[in-house]
Amino acid sequence: MGRLGYIATALFCFTLSAPGAETTEAPQKNPPLNFVNDIEPILTKAGCNSGGCHAKAGTGQRGFRLSLLGFEPQEDYEYIVKEGKGRRVFPAAPEQSLLVLKAANIVPHGGGKKLDPASHEYATLVRWIREGMAYGRPEDAKLANITVEPSVLSMKAKTTQQLKVTARFTDGSTRDVTSLSLYEANDKSMAETTEEGLVTTQDIPGNVAVMVRYAGQVSVFSVTIPLGAPVEVLPPAKNFVDEHVFANLKRIGIPPSPVADDATFLRRVSLDIAGRLPTLEEVQAFQTSQASDKRDQAIEALLSSPDYADYFANKWTALLKNKRDDAADITANFAFHAWMRDSLLANRPYDDIVRQILAATGTIVSNPPVAWYKRVKEPHLQQEDVAQLFLGVRMQCAQCHHHPFERWSQQDYYSLSAFFSQVGRKPTAIAGEDLIFHKRGTAQLENKKTRTPVKPAALGGPILEIAPDDDPRLQLADWMGAKDNPFFATALVNRYWKHFFKRGLIEPEDDIRDSNPATNPALLSDLAKHFVESGFDLKEVVRVITRSQTYQLSAMPNDHNAVDRQNFSHFYPKRMQAEVLLDAINQVTGAQSDFADLPPGTRAISLPDNSYNRASPFLKVFGRPEGASVCECERVQSSSLAQSLHLMNAADVKAKLAVSNGRADRLSKAEKSVPDRIRELYQAALSREPTAEEIRLSETHLLKPRLDAQDKPLPAAQALRQGYEDLIWALVNTKEFLYNH
Amino acid sequence: MTSRHLFLPTLGVAVSVWFAAASPTLAQQVTLPLPRLLTVMPMGAQAGGSVEVTITGENLEDVTSLQFSSPQITARPVTGADGTPVPNKFLVSVAPGTPAGVHDARVLSRLGISSVRAFAVSNLKEITRTAANNTVESAMALELNSICNASMTRRAVDHYAFQAKQGQPIVVDCAAAGIDSRLTPVVVIADAQGRDLLVNRTGGRLNFTPPADGRYLIKLNDLTFQGGERYFYRLALQTTSGQAPLPRQPETQTVSAMSWPPAGLTATPANREAEPNNRAPEAQKVSLPCDIGGSFYPAADVDTYEFAAKKGETWWVEVASERLGRDTDPFVLVQQVKQADGKETLTDVAELYDIPSPMKLSSNGYAYDGPPYNAGSPDVNGKFEVKEDGIYRLQLRDLFGGTRSDPDNEYRLLVRKAAPDFSLAAWGVHMTLRNGDRAALSKPMALRAGESRVFEVVTQRRDGFDGAIELAMEGLPTGVTATGLKIGAGKSYGHLILTAASDAAAGISLASITGKAVINGQETLRPCRMATMKWPVKDAKGEIPAPRLMADVPVSVSNSEPAPLTIEPADSKVVEATVGTTVTIPLKITWRNEFTGTSLKLKAYGDGFAGVKEIDIPMKAETTTLTLDLAALKLPVGEHALALYGTAVSKYRYNPAAVPLAEAEQKKAELLAQAAAEEAKKIAATDAAAAKAAAAKAQQAGALMAEATKRMKTVSTTAEPRDTVDIVVSSPIRLSVKPAPVASAATTSSKP
Repeated sequence: MGRLGYIATALFCFTLSAPGAETTEAPQKNPPLNFVNDIEPILTKAGCNSGGCHAKAGTGQRGFRLSLLGFEPQEDYEYIVKEGKGRRVFPAAPEQSLLVLKAANIVPHGGGKKLDPASHEYATLVRWIREGMAYGRPEDAKLANITVEPSVLSMKAKTTQQLKVTARFTDGSTRDVTSLSLYEANDKSMAETTEEGLVTTQDIPGNVAVMVRYAGQVSVFSVTIPLGAPVEVLPPAKNFVDEHVFANLKRIGIPPSPVADDATFLRRVSLDIAGRLPTLEEVQAFQTSQASDKRDQAIEALLSSPDYADYFANKWTALLKNKRDDAADITANFAFHAWMRDSLLANRPYDDIVRQILAATGTIVSNPPVAWYKRVKEPHLQQEDVAQLFLGVRMQCAQCHHHPFERWSQQDYYSLSAFFSQVGRKPTAIAGEDLIFHKRGTAQLENKKTRTPVKPAALGGPILEIAPDDDPRLQLADWMGAKDNPFFATALVNRYWKHFFKRGLIEPEDDIRDSNPATNPALLSDLAKHFVESGFDLKEVVRVITRSQTYQLSAMPNDHNAVDRQNFSHFYPKRMQAEVLLDAINQVTGAQSDFADLPPGTRAISLPDNSYNRASPFLKVFGRPEGASVCECERVQSSSLAQSLHLMNAADVKAKLAVSNGRADRLSKAEKSVPDRIRELYQAALSREPTAEEIRLSETHLLKPRLDAQDKPLPAAQALRQGYEDLIWALVNTKEFLYNH
Repeated sequence: MTSRHLFLPTLGVAVSVWFAAASPTLAQQVTLPLPRLLTVMPMGAQAGGSVEVTITGENLEDVTSLQFSSPQITARPVTGADGTPVPNKFLVSVAPGTPAGVHDARVLSRLGISSVRAFAVSNLKEITRTAANNTVESAMALELNSICNASMTRRAVDHYAFQAKQGQPIVVDCAAAGIDSRLTPVVVIADAQGRDLLVNRTGGRLNFTPPADGRYLIKLNDLTFQGGERYFYRLALQTTSGQAPLPRQPETQTVSAMSWPPAGLTATPANREAEPNNRAPEAQKVSLPCDIGGSFYPAADVDTYEFAAKKGETWWVEVASERLGRDTDPFVLVQQVKQADGKETLTDVAELYDIPSPMKLSSNGYAYDGPPYNAGSPDVNGKFEVKEDGIYRLQLRDLFGGTRSDPDNEYRLLVRKAAPDFSLAAWGVHMTLRNGDRAALSKPMALRAGESRVFEVVTQRRDGFDGAIELAMEGLPTGVTATGLKIGAGKSYGHLILTAASDAAAGISLASITGKAVINGQETLRPCRMATMKWPVKDAKGEIPAPRLMADVPVSVSNSEPAPLTIEPADSKVVEATVGTTVTIPLKITWRNEFTGTSLKLKAYGDGFAGVKEIDIPMKAETTTLTLDLAALKLPVGEHALALYGTAVSKYRYNPAAVPLAEAEQKKAELLAQAAAEEAKKIAATDAAAAKAAAAKAQQAGALMAEATKRMKTVSTTAEPRDTVDIVVSSPIRLSVKPAPVASAATTSSKP
């Protein structure tokens, strides 16, 4: 590890200067110190056993190794007391022990000063060494749980609250462990925490949770930060989504923006469901329709269109790693993408889609979900992907150590992986492609830590006895699709909520855990319930979300709610995704893209895999994912200078503007009035009528005389055409175009 | 762009390292050109109807006839207005009453009989697409209960339109791989605007019940949007009662089907499975032996059968499902059931998986190291032994069936006492070349005069049959002989050598290959199926070889060009030798082409001759000898046969005889064009009206001349000498090993 590494390490580890832990309320007076209860928490708080320091995977730091966050006290005890012939502790002169000399940086310590010699923790360490370094007796009380006080609180912006953390032991005793606990807010822009458990709210209203950790136990302090503005007018709730969102807005005091106008709604919902702008005909028909339920009708039309299937298949196949690594992958990738798309088109229930993938057998062409097993080969990776993608649980940490913020142990990790232990493979005629079958035998995997075989168990479930003939993956699918599964439906509705609202009810959307509560738990719970009751109907999730008034609120903030980022008091604008934007530009300019091995004119949202990113700088610069990860975060949605420059100057965009028989070409020759032509352009690009001022400005620009490269006046027809090209160029470069709002 | 190929024959010839020339046309050719029929359009006709077809292929000249494996299908050349045949066009007639099915078509050409192409007969109205139909607007109208023959357009979607009535069930079925096509069809039913309603991409049928009266579209494309004439299909649109499922369009058989059915099996099973039978308490009671038909349906279906068996019995279990054309992987588990204290315990008796391939298959990575034909199957054929009297359970499941729910996934389960038997299949031997050659080519039995060709004959042995199998072939054309190098006892394959005499006249016949063995004291004769590649695959890394079984065994000999090399025993008589001695056999070699390298290295095919040391024949040597140490070979008394084989590179000229002909044609066309031009000039001066016609005629003559010139150039280029690597095989050598005379041994020992 280089110098920089130490600096980085030092950032993770911090010096303790807090007052000592308060006296224990244990019945016994000054009992000998116990390693697990008294020493390990000090090491954790000081950051000694953080991943960047002595708990670095495999090696530790400079030969001294500790388990991550102290989850393996038995091992840590061995490392401290026995390893290196006991050179780290010196009971005859405890202050001269390497352990404390290093921690206090008396002997130079790469991690710097971690303990103040004046601190209670320092004294405790010294005392423990002096007492002879007891590990503790089997009958010693063990930590049962921790509680934080207060646990729920409404706090005004810019106020503070000191937390108190109490550890409860198996003998009934309690101890104040506030100073030894670790604090972390799930949204640091809403609340800040100190080492001592002091929480300071910021000025963003909403719900924030502070995770409190002590000795492997986790508790949560939930804070509501009200805005306190009067909420006098609420749109009438259309469904339970609105009821929950509006109730929260009322509670916090954030008045919602009004419901968006028809044009905005149609553009928004078309982009979100079908990944495209509404067509000119759709814009005009929607405008003139007098039907009272025309918004619901538009939603239904979009949901039953193949565009919905194309757009969501694009989302799912990237997450399922439909990635082209070799030219020969084309068949597998096309088949898998198409299968996903067809499943969505047929509205195959979500639990069945997942079952088809999890328990896939056979060859890819005859059963395309098998392709997932071509991409994800090892049981552990299969389990990790399944947990994160379908359950919203990140299990990766638990492969090597107990999950730091979660209840998942290594045993849980291996028992979940064990569902994939009997996946049999046989080579096929296609290099690198196996056919998949259930290999008869007892499903089990070795826990790398304990070296013992582990049988399958669902998360939080009992060990399952699965007959050697039964495919354990089917049982995993059964468990996932069970009505009372606490993760499966929740993960999906949260993921879809984020698709429409830019922000999940839980963030990140695939990190669902007790210590990361939803901003609106009742809403999340009811959405999941509704999804289960609908028979895992994906279209119904989309329907219930997009029909809500919440979804249809204007993106324009009112006097109060501009500050809101998580309560959905107004619509949060989103930049169009790379594929959608490319298609939208094609749609507006009348150009088409030409992708290898696909019919000319195939839309970017229908691309089967990542291979097209290489040939399309546009897709790359706007962040189309490579299908390398199950995380939606692989898609880059941030803005960049490169994006702006590409839209303004790139040859491919310019070529689209000038395409023969494109919109500029057609409009310049169209037999209708100039204002009507400008109207068409605005409707095509922004799905709305231009204002009088916009028409005037556009017209002025169109009628301007133009010169060629030699400064000679252009012929009128050519000049007019260039004028329309300019106008389209200007429109596609507006935020109003680039964003779904 | 050209690529550099490095071929290193691992057998035979001392061609060390060989670099291909930079030009692709001069790159080393693998295998001498053989005639291959590649497309027949349309590729089917209605029974009782006739249709004009156009054929394409490779190495096809002077095509004189189009023939079929069914005598009910006949063809005659289409003739032009002047009575001469139109090249590559035939009028095919299907006799009334011909049952629906798929048959082999092939053509007879300069080099003899071509490889086969599927030709289907249906009972529906048949049409052929004539115009592009790649948009909703240009969708081709398709009547209900008809079949359209077409080929896929690359990077496009073919559109068909039909009128349907609300509630009338419709089935759309696209035949492709089953009729030799390279298409992986994606079939979509869409509304009149082209918006997808229903999709199938896994080769299955689409069952569709129209929600309303009206026009609907069928959209069809290749999974990866490939296309061209080799991506042909037959799209069937049918109405159905909705009661019983319609049969699929007929398909050719995979090579694995060579071992199904066992001889004498009834067409339909004696019993049917009765659901529910998934779990032990529901086990279906049967008695052995049994013959049961069932299906792996619904998803994760398990069919459990329970029976009593007696100690000492051996039962053979055979399951056919993949061999019936289903995409399944059957698995059988046999367990003994014991009851004690009201508790049931199960003991595994046998787990039965796949039927292994008789030969090590090509691993298909770096190079071929085995044949690209798999006569094994995911089906089951195994046995279990009964160790004690009691109750047993047999579970049958599809290892691919966990999530797939297709009632079409049928199986047939046989449990029987040993009925030893065997099945046979044969195919042209492929070269094992290193360094990148992965050609998988169809090799029709089209022999050049003077050629010997070798075929691998594999056997699937049934129920413990372990004896030797003698191979024979009958019905050969005059001048062609066949020698079966027997499949030795316990062996899984042998060879068949076809030899055409150097002076053989052109001829064709339908032959049959048989294997003969003694089973339980009875002489048993079994037919041998031929296998072929659907497409000549030049590089199996980029394209997966697709083999299948042929319907019959056509054999031809041609004399338009002789074999480059003939190796034969100097004397065609059977060589007689005494057991344990050394025998020397003179060989005669006829070199007709120029060969690369300094010598030809040959090994031996034939049961018992694996130990023959490699022999080395100097290039251009006209004679040599083969010495066999019968003692070292441990060759027993009896009749034996062997053939020598190796790999050699020769300078091969494709159809040089066509060059002077093409040159003459070109000359003639040139003269005609000149004459027409002059005539036009002359008339122009005198008659303005006639001048126009004459000018047009001159232009036409000019075009014909250009065409003739182009043809001449092509013919000349392909006739350039080209390095061509192929397997060389000697004609078979027969050996009769006699017992050592007893008296002479006594004499020897009596010497002082």
